Amino acid sequence: MQSSWIRWSLPVAVGLVVTAPGYAVQYLSVASAQKLCFPGCDQFAVAHIKFTPAQIKAIEAATGQPQQLRGQEIWKAMLGGQLQGYFIVDYVIGKHLVIDYAVALSPDGAVRQIEILQYRESYGGEIRNPDWRKQFVGKTPRSRFALNDGITNISGATLSSRHVTEGVKRVLATYEVCLK
Amino acid sequence: MIVRARPLLGTFVEIQADGLSELDGHRSIDRAFDAMAEVQRRMSFHDPASTLSRLNRLASHGPVRVDEWTFDVLKTAAEIHLVSHGVFDVTIAPHLQRLGFLPPAAGPAVPMAARRWSFADVQLLPDRSVRFLHPNLRIDLGGIAKGFAVDQAVAALQAAGVERGVVNAGGDLRVFGQEAFVVSIRHPARPGTALGTLSLSNRALATSAHYFADERISGRRLGPFINPRTGRRQARLQSVSVDAPTAILADALTKVVMLAPDDSAHVLERFGASALCVAAGRGVRCIPGGRAAFQLAAQPFFPSRRHRPAHSFNR
Repeated sequence: MQSSWIRWSLPVAVGLVVTAPGYAVQYLSVASAQKLCFPGCDQFAVAHIKFTPAQIKAIEAATGQPQQLRGQEIWKAMLGGQLQGYFIVDYVIGKHLVIDYAVALSPDGAVRQIEILQYRESYGGEIRNPDWRKQFVGKTPRSRFALNDGITNISGATLSSRHVTEGVKRVLATYEVCLK
Repeated sequence: MIVRARPLLGTFVEIQADGLSELDGHRSIDRAFDAMAEVQRRMSFHDPASTLSRLNRLASHGPVRVDEWTFDVLKTAAEIHLVSHGVFDVTIAPHLQRLGFLPPAAGPAVPMAARRWSFADVQLLPDRSVRFLHPNLRIDLGGIAKGFAVDQAVAALQAAGVERGVVNAGGDLRVFGQEAFVVSIRHPARPGTALGTLSLSNRALATSAHYFADERISGRRLGPFINPRTGRRQARLQSVSVDAPTAILADALTKVVMLAPDDSAHVLERFGASALCVAAGRGVRCIPGGRAAFQLAAQPFFPSRRHRPAHSFNR
């Protein structure tokens, strides 16, 4: 068992601290995503895994992708002391976007759920720029909505989710190499 | 207000639900995502276990019974095919395969001369069975299923008691509820800026454009817009946004306008829709003309001083 070297710390009060640029959208905190992925679980035990060079090699060999992360935050979802699954936070960086997302795995390593935690566009700053948003005031009959939530509704942003799909493959390889 | 996002249908799907408690709101969003994942399972061209793949394997040999959702999508595809005089056609899958937008078919390639079929060769039978009248005919629902999935997600949210919400699948979006939403349309040439805005209330909006659609295939400028008559890529416009009563209509009608903008007014009117088109170097226009549902961006919507406001043009 390779997992013996991981120290799981309990209890959990770990949140991800993120500094949000003006055009970031935060959907879920780590804690609320954990609750959604594993409803009813009473403990989330965290381990900050630091990959060994051999593990990085193994993950890269399994996925054919570079493993750019030096380590990963992995939570064990527990109910009454029983393992219900794993909750892994991962990051993908594409051409136009940076995404923090979470993958919930069953104890045997099957994907249960994927939730986007936060999404940042490397452009699109203008669309969500507060100064620009101010321009809406008084311009539409529903300016309240223009300011509060209208701006998040952008048509034409057909961004490919391919990077997340590739990221999930890397997370599954991480499970095989570090947790199984 | 709860907003969540998941990767689905090859893009990012964002769902907003207002008017329920946090717990019930999250549950309603879970159901909406589940409905969209189910649409993906049934209508994916890539998944050999999907209803669509079964159809593509078997329907040229005899009638194949399909689920209600797949049949509904095919019925809508048939109606738009008819009204658009064949411009909208979901039987272009072999062309998309040849051009590399879809994975290639097994077996020998079908010569171009033998590719003489259209959606008219697809029979929709009364017992929800489907039959292909041409041996090489294959369907891809990529131009319509995403919109249908958005509609199903909206139905799931409404069934769960959500009062007001948005489902946005990478630009194909639908809003519902008493109060309107303001939606920005991304500028095709400057994806960081808005082309215009639209106040949407119980309506759908879909955008087809070239800025991201072809990202996966480097060196190709045009997105997967195929003229069904020639089997070749064609796009007369850089970006098309269609505002329609449902997302399935908005999604499908963007392709009609993209391929044949000059003949699309009657099609749009038939389905209660309108379009905002951008042609490279020629500005912006609305179809049908003079009845613009779109509030075009005047200066205030553009943050950049360098930008000159878009103006409409008449043919």
